Amino acid sequence: MKPYWLAVCPQDAQRAGRDAGVSGYAPLLALPLTSALCGTTSPDAGTELSGAAAWADPLAALAWWSLQFTPWVAQVQQALVLEISASERLFGGRMALLQALLQPGHAPLPMQYAHGDSALLALARLACDALQQVSDLAQPPLPPDALPLHTLAAAQAHLPTLERLGCTTWGQLRALPRGGVARRFGAPLLTALDQAYGAAPEVYAWLRLPEVFEAPLELAAQVESAAAMLFGARRLLAQLQLWLRARQHGVLELELRWQLDARRANTLHRDAWHQGDGYGRLQLRTAEPTQDPRHLERLLAEHLAQVTLPAPVLYLRLRTLETCALRGQSLSLLPDELRSGDSLHHMLERIAARLGPESVRAVTLQDEHRPECMQNWQTLGAQASAVVSTGIGRPSSFAVQTGMVSGRATSQASAITIAAQALYPTWLLPQVRSLACGTDGLPQWDGPLALLAGPQRLELQAWDTGPQVQRDYYIAHSPGQGLLWVYRERLGLAQEQGAAWYLHGLFA
Amino acid sequence: MSALPAPSPGLPERTAPGLLRADVWRADALAAPRAQTLSSGDTALDAQLPGGGWPVGALTELLQAPGMHNEWRLLLPALARSGSGPVVLVAPPYLPFAPALQAQGLQAQRLLWLGAADSQGAAALWLSEQALRCAAVDAVLAWLPQVRPEQLRRLQWAAAEHYKLLFVLRPSAAQAQASPAVLRLLLDLDDGAALSLHILKRRGPPLDGPLHLAARPAALLRVLASAKPAPAAESAPSLQAAPTQTTSAHIAILQPRRATP
Repeated sequence: MKPYWLAVCPQDAQRAGRDAGVSGYAPLLALPLTSALCGTTSPDAGTELSGAAAWADPLAALAWWSLQFTPWVAQVQQALVLEISASERLFGGRMALLQALLQPGHAPLPMQYAHGDSALLALARLACDALQQVSDLAQPPLPPDALPLHTLAAAQAHLPTLERLGCTTWGQLRALPRGGVARRFGAPLLTALDQAYGAAPEVYAWLRLPEVFEAPLELAAQVESAAAMLFGARRLLAQLQLWLRARQHGVLELELRWQLDARRANTLHRDAWHQGDGYGRLQLRTAEPTQDPRHLERLLAEHLAQVTLPAPVLYLRLRTLETCALRGQSLSLLPDELRSGDSLHHMLERIAARLGPESVRAVTLQDEHRPECMQNWQTLGAQASAVVSTGIGRPSSFAVQTGMVSGRATSQASAITIAAQALYPTWLLPQVRSLACGTDGLPQWDGPLALLAGPQRLELQAWDTGPQVQRDYYIAHSPGQGLLWVYRERLGLAQEQGAAWYLHGLFA
Repeated sequence: MSALPAPSPGLPERTAPGLLRADVWRADALAAPRAQTLSSGDTALDAQLPGGGWPVGALTELLQAPGMHNEWRLLLPALARSGSGPVVLVAPPYLPFAPALQAQGLQAQRLLWLGAADSQGAAALWLSEQALRCAAVDAVLAWLPQVRPEQLRRLQWAAAEHYKLLFVLRPSAAQAQASPAVLRLLLDLDDGAALSLHILKRRGPPLDGPLHLAARPAALLRVLASAKPAPAAESAPSLQAAPTQTTSAHIAILQPRRATP
């Protein structure tokens, strides 16, 4: 099969604007075509930046995007070469593949391209287009013989000599006797010329998608506050999303590293994020693998809001610590099932990032007799770390763990226990409150309590050295507080020092 | 097959809407707005609430005197039937006792407790709004003692946009303040057995007198009624003097793991 090469490079916004200005006289046809190909809509509506400015490494972004169309992608100078003849059929023809590759709104950034039968030919045409500053797609591409010599990288060193010889195009160089050229300019020039005309095979270092995402970024200016690092981190996150999409993975753990300005004395500052080695680190974890850069960005913003930078920062580095393959997701056929809003674990992680993991709690029931031990309000952090430490595969979401979705049967409560539980109060005090006793020996709480029902006796003695519990629970009525659940400590039947009364719950 | 009645031509039009769930749209009919209310589980209360229940996608305000707690009694039946997603409690005053709530129909797995150290201020509001914006959440109960009307309006907007049950619990002193809530109730306990409910604001004519509801679940009321004959003033000293009398008490659940020596 005849090879078909593409050379692509990112097109920056200034050039696109200049193109439009230069081609003021240009055919009306070319302008909409160019603007359609170089549409400035960024792939993600959440980022304000467009074009190359939205990416930490535009060329790598372009390469990762191109890798889904062909495995033969290589970087040559500041452009990419793609060999697409093998995958044309899969994408429905050459034009369909080109459209998919260049589609504005899907492609990471607007790009310009040229094609040819060899990579060097495509590159030379791309360079010509760049020089002419008008990528007039309506015109047929230049024939190889007419291409100027400076577009051939191997001829760059010999350009003045060749020019004095009267050689300015590929065709003129090719017409020279081969032996003389080899003696005068060396074999590499002849090899390059052969490759450009397709007479010799071309070998490049083919790009592959890295196993681990790791991208550095040099900020445009030194950043003094941690929150301002977010603008740089956003470009890294956009790059990360592209990598995750290409690998069809979701990220679970990330590390953002920043380098403090070494000229400042307080780079040795130590705190939770800085170890005193001139670098700062922030690790980010999500319970559910995600590709969504907006969620990661909001999490990062919450974390960065707590960081104080001891010195200005110029370099950032983002690295994935753990990723896993994304599962497919079934959506409902009925439109009513699709509720608006963000997902549960996104919300919980955002809250935990801002207010601390102890601000989110879910309950698990336990088989116990002491009311305070019947339920366990676990924090989000404890839950996540427990899942990780037991190593039950991939840590699934908090919601699934607490059984919100799966509805795990925590207690096979018989009818008798349910009847008894119906008599329990609906509010429980986190700490039992000691009640003062009046002169008649009755407890007081916002007025004297009237004991309405009871006692409900609770006795517990564990086999080992557990707490010994002997309590008599009463339902009491307080004039100011309604129905209360109080108990009397019954430890030691003698009751020498009088009954000790405690408030334990409220009936609401 | 012959036992089945022959379908009359007019039958589907008359019975099908009643048979189908309210939120299922039949493709040959005009789409109706979504069910706007959720029954409170109390016919007397439902009769007085516009639409026959708690409004979904709107703010309901419950006002109580400080120290009084009747929210679970009022809301539990509706929350138990509100779906299967989380019921978010924002800055509740105490720990909810999940076994008791589960016994009354609200699954413990659905409870989600959100709070922060300074829950009384902006954090509780932020948490409430985050919960309302979450797709999975079914209902939000927020205890906001010091909330301003403009902040409530923001919550009302979020509840309407994301179609959530939202109850805000505030002290009774707030009843003089303006509020964007579509339903405002003032709860008061008469004598421990009856709950009097003043509807301060509703979409409809004002209610003259308070509404009286049973203050407690039926099982609890039965226990209290059966305990009535023994006067409280008598029983307490006798218990104090002789704790071994517990065998004759009305409830005695003795389930020790090991008998005490």
